[in-house]
Amino acid sequence: MSLLLQEPGLLAGDRPARSRTGLLWDVIKNQPSATIGAVILGIFIVLAVLAPVIAPYGLHEQVGPVYGHPSWAHPLGLDDGGIDMVTLLMWGARISLVVGFAATFVSMVIGGTVGLASGYFGGRTDTVLMRITDYFLAIPDVPLMIVVAAIWGPSLFHIIVVIGVLLWTGTARVVRAQVMSVRERAYVKRARSLGAGNLRIILRHVLPQIAPILIASTVLTIAVAIFDETALAFLGLGDPSRISLGKVIENAFQRTAISSGAWWAIVPPGAAVALLILSCSMIGRAMEDALNPRLRVSHLSAKGFRLRPLVGRGRDAV
Amino acid sequence: MRGADYVIKRVAFAVITVFIALVLNFALFRLAPGSAVTNLSRVPHATPETKHAIAKQFGLDKSKGEQFVIYLKQLARGNLGISFENSQPVSKNLRTALSNTLPMVGLGTLFAIVFGTLTGVIAAWRRGTTTEHVTIATALGFYAMPTHWLALMLVIIFAGVFPSGGMVDDFLIDPTWFQHLKDVLYHMTLPASTLALVLYGEYTLIVRSAMLETLGEDYILTARAKGLKPRAIVRKHALRNALLPITTLIAISLGYIVAGSILVETVFSWPGIGRAVYQAVLQRDYPMLQGAFLVLVLSVVFFNLVADLLYFKLDPRIAE
Amino acid sequence: MRKGLAAVATLLLAASVIAGCGGSKSSSSGTTGSVKEGGTLRLGTSSRIDSLNPYVAFNQDAYSTFMYIYPFLVQYDKGLNFTPDFATKWETSKDGLTWTFHTRPNAKWSDGKPLTAEDAAWTINTDVKYQGTGGANTAGLIAHIKSATAPDANTLVVKYEKPVGNVLSQFQQLAILPKHIWAGYTGHKGADLKTFPNAAPIVSGGTFILTKFKKDEIALFERNPNFYGPKPHIKGFGLRMFSNDDALVSAMKSGEIDAIESVPPTAIDTLKKAGVNVSIVPGVTTNDFIFNANTKKTNHRELLNLTLREAFAHAIDRDKIIKVAWLDNAKPATSFIPPATGDWHNPNLKPETFDLAKANQLLDELGYKKGSGGIRTADGHKMSYEVIAPNDLTGVDRTFQIIQADFQKIGVELKQRSLDSSAAFDVITAPDGKYLNFDLAMWDWVPLIDPDFMLSVVTCAQYNGWSDSGYCNKAYDAMYSQQGTTLDQAKRRQLVWAMQDKLFKERPYILLNYENWISAHSKGWAGFVSSPQGDFNSLSKDSFTKVHQTS
Repeated sequence: MSLLLQEPGLLAGDRPARSRTGLLWDVIKNQPSATIGAVILGIFIVLAVLAPVIAPYGLHEQVGPVYGHPSWAHPLGLDDGGIDMVTLLMWGARISLVVGFAATFVSMVIGGTVGLASGYFGGRTDTVLMRITDYFLAIPDVPLMIVVAAIWGPSLFHIIVVIGVLLWTGTARVVRAQVMSVRERAYVKRARSLGAGNLRIILRHVLPQIAPILIASTVLTIAVAIFDETALAFLGLGDPSRISLGKVIENAFQRTAISSGAWWAIVPPGAAVALLILSCSMIGRAMEDALNPRLRVSHLSAKGFRLRPLVGRGRDAV
Repeated sequence: MRGADYVIKRVAFAVITVFIALVLNFALFRLAPGSAVTNLSRVPHATPETKHAIAKQFGLDKSKGEQFVIYLKQLARGNLGISFENSQPVSKNLRTALSNTLPMVGLGTLFAIVFGTLTGVIAAWRRGTTTEHVTIATALGFYAMPTHWLALMLVIIFAGVFPSGGMVDDFLIDPTWFQHLKDVLYHMTLPASTLALVLYGEYTLIVRSAMLETLGEDYILTARAKGLKPRAIVRKHALRNALLPITTLIAISLGYIVAGSILVETVFSWPGIGRAVYQAVLQRDYPMLQGAFLVLVLSVVFFNLVADLLYFKLDPRIAE
Repeated sequence: MRKGLAAVATLLLAASVIAGCGGSKSSSSGTTGSVKEGGTLRLGTSSRIDSLNPYVAFNQDAYSTFMYIYPFLVQYDKGLNFTPDFATKWETSKDGLTWTFHTRPNAKWSDGKPLTAEDAAWTINTDVKYQGTGGANTAGLIAHIKSATAPDANTLVVKYEKPVGNVLSQFQQLAILPKHIWAGYTGHKGADLKTFPNAAPIVSGGTFILTKFKKDEIALFERNPNFYGPKPHIKGFGLRMFSNDDALVSAMKSGEIDAIESVPPTAIDTLKKAGVNVSIVPGVTTNDFIFNANTKKTNHRELLNLTLREAFAHAIDRDKIIKVAWLDNAKPATSFIPPATGDWHNPNLKPETFDLAKANQLLDELGYKKGSGGIRTADGHKMSYEVIAPNDLTGVDRTFQIIQADFQKIGVELKQRSLDSSAAFDVITAPDGKYLNFDLAMWDWVPLIDPDFMLSVVTCAQYNGWSDSGYCNKAYDAMYSQQGTTLDQAKRRQLVWAMQDKLFKERPYILLNYENWISAHSKGWAGFVSSPQGDFNSLSKDSFTKVHQTS
């Protein structure tokens, strides 16, 4: 999900050069949306990590009737197994975040490597890798994920791999663009002329420079990964032995929550997912805006925009 | 690169993508775990003789390479295989399904474009004001919502006002053309609206940005200096230039929406290709799944190609 | 997709002779209140008709459809006795090898062509001839039939190669097809039988004509003016297929449909509040927990130990499962012959008590010590097992969670492996139908009324057929053959009870519960004839013949 939109007239390059962390901190400070996003994401992460400790009830503990109404003891009511919704949300966020982060990690590794190799070595490598990326982009990911999950079988591991393997394209392109620009920088050229090996140059000079944009891209990918997990779970392809936020929604859907009037079984988990996606998008977008001035829209180029109609893949770098 | 080259290149790319999708399609399904015969057979407790007969029928006793060639040959004839479920040709099942999906998805995209453009223009025009922030925040908000959840929300909110499922009231006996249209539109409202709400956000932001870009240009300044009213400026210049990205966006998004209709159709029991995918997944009806996947990929590739060519027509500079 | 639902795929193995005189008891269920003729009943389901071709269909809704559009020789009445449908009376020869059915004279198909015993003979012969290929679905029903002839338009003579006891039960499930429509579809050695779409409008011989069919959407039926039997009150009905329960219940609440075929337990209260009539009757669907009972299995052979199985049985909280997964709409089960089938069910069996202490004690006595994490060790390995669970099994996740949590308390670890039905069956029978690998599974059965089919699924001959437990026991097989040849009903019943007793002790299955059948209809309708398969069923044509609008 991405909006490679730069406010026309505002170039991050106008700011004085700062250290990377300094830049990141600048971003968070100057862009209120990023701060809000970071706070929300932070809260979720804390809740998810501490779920086993601070969850008010047991995850499989039936504490009331099926679809019990919200009450003081159970502010978000009970689900179709009589389990407290607040507990479910905490544990669900855990799995959703795990899938989100793990899948993104996979895509980051793949995308980063591809982008790095492509941008650094250029030439044939670049052409070949970019062609592959193009083809990956051309195949709609949700159907492919569904097909692979249906064939391979539902398990957490499979879901993570499936999502990760389809989301790397955006990262690859962004990294590639950045690497290409870094490659031409003076100090890199100097290092090369001094005889430094490729690996050394990559590790010491290139990698640190692309880290921020890689992170920004990663954060945006997390949002998409979380969405993809909910979509797969909703279609019955999630891991049946794990409760993720997507699974909570799916359970409610399968067990007539709506027609039973149990809106609390559906609204909170979906809202939680929406908040997670929103917060990641806000952070990622802000980081992108600030970190990479070259990523601005060039003359109404529609090629710069990739839609995320219902699922996103990251974007092309212009 | 000259124009013709560009076109050829894009078409070639589309063709190769389709081929890759075919290989992928074939490989995925033939590599499915579980004996292929059990998967392909609708008589799970068949005798060994029956199983063998079915294997022969599907050519499963041949090498993978030969199977692939058979697969391609059958595709060329438009034969997408036989659905496990009702032993009917997959292509027949899909044709009906696709014809049900397109109007709903089309309507949703139309809503999204209209609404998105409007809000994008407003946001650009009212740059820096609260209106802009609210508009953008709302757009982002809807954009972040999981599609199926938003669909369920709409079902909850509009229970009793709009039907919660189906495409037509099947018990309407012999409706007139007009009655039928009304009935379909009535059923189409919620699913199309779901799509629209999830989609419009991106349109808003892009239109806004495109307009801002244009509004910053010198000739706009000139126009203002000449005394042209802001509304006229927006209409005559900014919007027209924003048309380029919008047009290509529409084309691209149509491709992805067909793919993304799965979630909406599942919630609303809409008998389209998305729901066909869902049912095929539930039943593990592999031929249907394989066929549906192919159709979806083809539509995305097709619309992307259209977008590329359209874009080229509107702005030939892309070919360089 | 439930196994057993394909009643027509019964494989009859043993021969039996049972004097079966045609019972012509007519079932009379009086209509309640005033009867308003006409109208179209709108029925909703979250299941579907998968195919209109009897040689392909697997889903119950398809079979219920066939019941209403095709003639059958016999049907069940409300008391689950056989009663006439297309056949008015029948006789058996002394040696049981020849059955003669007298069919309705002057009957017609909906297209006006004569409906005679010749159609029945043709259907039977076709099914026999192509039972290995296109007719595989009905192969079980025509087992041991040599030939069928129609010496005149109203007489059907069926010759068997050995005496068969449950002939009527078989013919209750065999749809008679119009020869003049289907005769051209036996090409490619009968394979064409399966590819004929049998699209609507279908030439029908039953109470209704199927006039319109849109896959996964709607099936519309209209009264068949040429039907030989009692005329229905309604003008027609429609079966509307929803992709999930929520949409179905919402449609009922908003008045888009008049009746629901099968109501999910979670919707009962909300429907009652909306003023809908909800009826709950004992059903036949039985859920089970399966042990790989193959004595030749390779790993984890401690699971063959009968005491261990008893311990496991004491660790399953049936009441909690019924409460949570079924919202109290099920009963604890003991044998796979449910009480709803009448007195074939052995009433002397009682479900094992839920007693974790006893379970722990039994396992302790077997010497399986608890190790790290509280999990016991048996024969040098942790007692940690994979449970195969078909993903379309209703309530499977909740049920498994409850069992898993309780097994944790007795030191046994369970992991759920969710697979689609065909993959699940594959894994259970692996390798190559030898049932060597799997440990545990969960599934369900939808038994028929006559117990022969259910009793057959645990015979040695059902390896790679209907067996999902790998149970194979010579003594049991002998009992199965014997009940098939026992003439005396009372004696046969004793045998059937004894077989259930044996299975209860040897536990290839721990039967969990018998599901109730919950259906609903709006107050403007009455006259439904309920059954363990619901109001729209494949047991008889009664229900929709009697259903009517109240004023």
